[in-house]
Amino acid sequence: MESTLPWLILLSPLASALLILLFAHRSKALSVLLSLSAVFLALGASLLLVKNATDTLTSIPWIDLGPALKLGIGLKVDALTRVMLLVVTGVGTLVHVYSTIYMADDEGKSRFFGALSLFMFSMLGIVLADNLAMMFIFWELVGVSSFLLIGHWFTKESAAKAANKAFLTNRIGDFGFMSGILLVWSTVGTVEFAGIQENLTKLTANPTFLTLAGLCLFCGAVGKSAQMPLHVWLPDAMEGPTPVSALIHAATMVAAGVYMLARIFFILEPSATALGVIAAVGAITALMAALMATQQNDIKRILAYSTLSQLGLMVAGIGVGAWGASMFHLFTHAFFKALLFLGSGAVIHALHHEQDIWKMGGLRKTMPKTFLTFAIGTLALTGMPFLAGFFSKEAILLAAWHKSLPVFAAGLLTSLLTAFYMTRLVVVAFFGHARTDAANHGHDCPAGMTVPLLILAVLSVIAGYAGFAEAIFGKELFHHVHAAAPVALVPILALSAFVLGTLGAWILYHPAIKDPAVFKDAYRIKDPVRIPLFANKFYIDEIYHALIAGTQEMLAGFLGWFDHFILDGVIVRGICAITWGAGYTLRLLQFGNLQGYAFFFGAGVVVLLYILTK
Amino acid sequence: MFPPISLEILVLALGFILLLAESFSNSTNKRGLAHIAIFCLGWIFAISFFTAPTPATIGAGSYWNFYSGDGVSLVFKRIALLTTIGVLVLALDYEAALAKLLPSAHVGAGTGEFYILPLFTCAGLMLMASAVDLVMAFAALELVTISFYVLVAYARRSHASLEAGVKYLILGALSTGFIVYGITWIFGLTGETHFTKVAEKLAHLRGDDTAILFAFLLILVGLGFKVAAVPFQSWVPDVYEGAPTPVTAFLSVGSKAAGFLLFLRVLEPFLGVHSILPKVLQVLALVAGATLIFGNLAAMPQNSLKRLLAYSSIGHAGYLLTAIACIGAGGGLLLGVGATVGYYLFAYMLMTLLAFAVLTLVSVNSKGEEIQQFNGLSKRSPFLAFAMVVAMSSLAGVPLTAGFYGKFLVFAQIIQAHHWVLLSLGVITVGAGFYYYFRVVAAMYWHDPQETAPITVAPLSKITISLLIAAIFYFGINPNPVLSALRTSAPSVAAAAH
Repeated sequence: MESTLPWLILLSPLASALLILLFAHRSKALSVLLSLSAVFLALGASLLLVKNATDTLTSIPWIDLGPALKLGIGLKVDALTRVMLLVVTGVGTLVHVYSTIYMADDEGKSRFFGALSLFMFSMLGIVLADNLAMMFIFWELVGVSSFLLIGHWFTKESAAKAANKAFLTNRIGDFGFMSGILLVWSTVGTVEFAGIQENLTKLTANPTFLTLAGLCLFCGAVGKSAQMPLHVWLPDAMEGPTPVSALIHAATMVAAGVYMLARIFFILEPSATALGVIAAVGAITALMAALMATQQNDIKRILAYSTLSQLGLMVAGIGVGAWGASMFHLFTHAFFKALLFLGSGAVIHALHHEQDIWKMGGLRKTMPKTFLTFAIGTLALTGMPFLAGFFSKEAILLAAWHKSLPVFAAGLLTSLLTAFYMTRLVVVAFFGHARTDAANHGHDCPAGMTVPLLILAVLSVIAGYAGFAEAIFGKELFHHVHAAAPVALVPILALSAFVLGTLGAWILYHPAIKDPAVFKDAYRIKDPVRIPLFANKFYIDEIYHALIAGTQEMLAGFLGWFDHFILDGVIVRGICAITWGAGYTLRLLQFGNLQGYAFFFGAGVVVLLYILTK
Repeated sequence: MFPPISLEILVLALGFILLLAESFSNSTNKRGLAHIAIFCLGWIFAISFFTAPTPATIGAGSYWNFYSGDGVSLVFKRIALLTTIGVLVLALDYEAALAKLLPSAHVGAGTGEFYILPLFTCAGLMLMASAVDLVMAFAALELVTISFYVLVAYARRSHASLEAGVKYLILGALSTGFIVYGITWIFGLTGETHFTKVAEKLAHLRGDDTAILFAFLLILVGLGFKVAAVPFQSWVPDVYEGAPTPVTAFLSVGSKAAGFLLFLRVLEPFLGVHSILPKVLQVLALVAGATLIFGNLAAMPQNSLKRLLAYSSIGHAGYLLTAIACIGAGGGLLLGVGATVGYYLFAYMLMTLLAFAVLTLVSVNSKGEEIQQFNGLSKRSPFLAFAMVVAMSSLAGVPLTAGFYGKFLVFAQIIQAHHWVLLSLGVITVGAGFYYYFRVVAAMYWHDPQETAPITVAPLSKITISLLIAAIFYFGINPNPVLSALRTSAPSVAAAAH
């Protein structure tokens, strides 16, 4: 029983995906039913696993070519897995339910739910994998299914482009990940986590090599968890349907990188250089993404940059050695960020696909339930005391305080900025007067959408408390969460960052939206703070564009030359000539028909005889 | 539990009964014969799982001197049975085209033997899988070949078919001559025909190696013809193109499997002679490399899919020969050549049958076997187009298909043997393979159809094609069932090399 549950969790979404794509795609209702039952089954099994809290490892042999290459399909369940399973299936279930309403009138509903099931399968595969090779396969599958989901509205050019961008950017990171796996495998001779841990001395014998392997593996996380400099795909991925953003780009797929780092932390730990790089990348991402978020006007993009920033914080947490705290933050963040995305989805749904916060306003009164839950999510994210985010963020900051002050400072500044931009979002979108007709006719959505919001809101409140979290994490893992010695100054500083950020945004934006005289071009109020550098995301997209365009031009020129003269001229024509020559020779032999063939046959015998006996 | 030989007896009995039934019945509709044959072969396949493997015992004084019913031979027998079932399904689809090429009063009147002769081929293949004696192996090989002579020339009113039949007959007889001569030399050297005893005698033979090398060469030539190795491949394109399509499928799977199986068996005694080993391997590598290059490069400019598959069949023979050429060059083989070749042949059976099944249906409906006929197939029959994509991907070696795993094993073998020349040739030719296989895919999805009439697929063919697709994916992801069956008592070829 214990060992069949993981298989049930993994295979039920796969079965659903296959059934939908092969047979049920003509019936929307059947597709939804299949997908929902699969995810509920997975959730139920995950809950049972958490309740029983026993570690299991089941593996069936897959590729067995002697000692040189042996691979199994193995499912590993330990405390870390259970936490992730609960996050993925929990948020997944709510998103499935929410999507039944959100995507109600969509033509591609069956396709959507098929892809959603495929995504659940791939994501659960990453979580349950007991070896790096399997993790990599599912890693790629996640890439494929997220490509399908981001590009769900593929007739829209921006969505198709965003899907491509996400997929290609991830591929860069995945290449590093693959190299890392090969490096580890070449020294240790196995890709199973347990096997690597046993033979870790083989890796640590050469510190430079270890650092290289660790950093290559980290590349995978940089891609999937959208860290600098590969963060560019995540904001664009908001082109996908909002439930997808909540599931993939807030709670699960982007968290896969952090989870992977926590899983392989024992490989990273011996290399101070690797950890230093990871901490730096995380801290820079956290800070820069927070700065960019302060100047965005699209409700989903603000949340996207906020996700980037929080992921940066988690990665920085890994970098300072607090992988337990990072997992804790991943856990709480999954709930309140999914809540915020689903809340924004409710707003977008009610306002007929209006995403500009300046064209909203006054939603506090027209969408009270949405406002309430959104506010809870915001407070949990910004670090309001006694809500989930406060506890988990503080755990990371505390670890950083002990290990590296620059990282701590970056984290603190990020917290302040987070409070600032989230308050800005809430004030502009929910307070004041409705600035458009659509906003005026806002309304709370049907129960199928609000119930998930309420559940997530409750979780956003309680997820941080030791009692609740410990029940899910288990004693041993929870010990890692609060490994660092408490320092009184840290919570005080965190609290002041929260207060400063919130107050600052309130003072700046509340008067601005109150004053109807400042309307500018078509409902757009003049933003009291204007920093083009942040609004344009540090021009990184433009720089990449220029870089890629430039190198592409050069490369294309060179390749064109190479293609024309070397490939076409020498190789292809050469091969062509040889092939045609051979064909011509054969045709010559065909003149004599059989005699020709028999002659050819005999000539072959003579040549072989000569070679054999010379 | 049945003794393994009962399988061959059942197949032969089935063949005779059906032949008699055909001659004494007045019905002009012969399709029933094929259905009975398919049904009975299915049962025999099922029975094969209830046979007790009985290895040969030397000196037992009965047919056990010639016949070994070990586990591996059972695997090959099952492959032969499945292939024959597949070919008969194709033959049913092909009936419409075949009937026009027969000089008979009624439509479909002369097609009876077309469904029955494959049974004898099948029996020959199954006997060959069990042969442990040169005489027995030769008799089985000729049972296969002679039934093929008739089948290739079956469409009597088609010049191409007749020409192919004559070419196959004469060149086949030539190659048979080489094999018999080779067997004579081996007997002359050792005084034995049983493989194990030949191996013992050869290993302790003192004197000049030239005689042994000559005997090896003669066998290599004869079997090189059967498996379509360069420079004995010249018959392949013409015969494949001229023969009725189901027969072509059977030729490329059955004839090749029989040839390779016998080749592995005969090669084993020679590998025990250490003084000639380097030369034997050198010649094998040479033939393998030439076959790889010729098959894959010559396939590129082909416009007829049937001819393309003929060259591709030469190319695949090249990969199999490559695996064999790496037999003893390095220590610590991953799996042993026997299992590699066995798995590759199994995968090759699946994907080749699938490709020919689609080709048969398309050519019957489009009056031609050019790649052009596949233009826009995705619109005429999405099912067939998808099946063809799977077949082509597997032939090219796309991961998660059975064909990929076969190539993977071959390359693993090459790398273990550190045979860098063959490795680079292999990589280049796989690349070439992608080019010509995916031309077909491009035609199906990117070109507009010349004819728009949808193609209907009979239920039996649909089931067969679906099963083949499923098997290609299943064994591409999880090859263990086949590998472990092959490994349980794999021919000790690898062991003999040391």
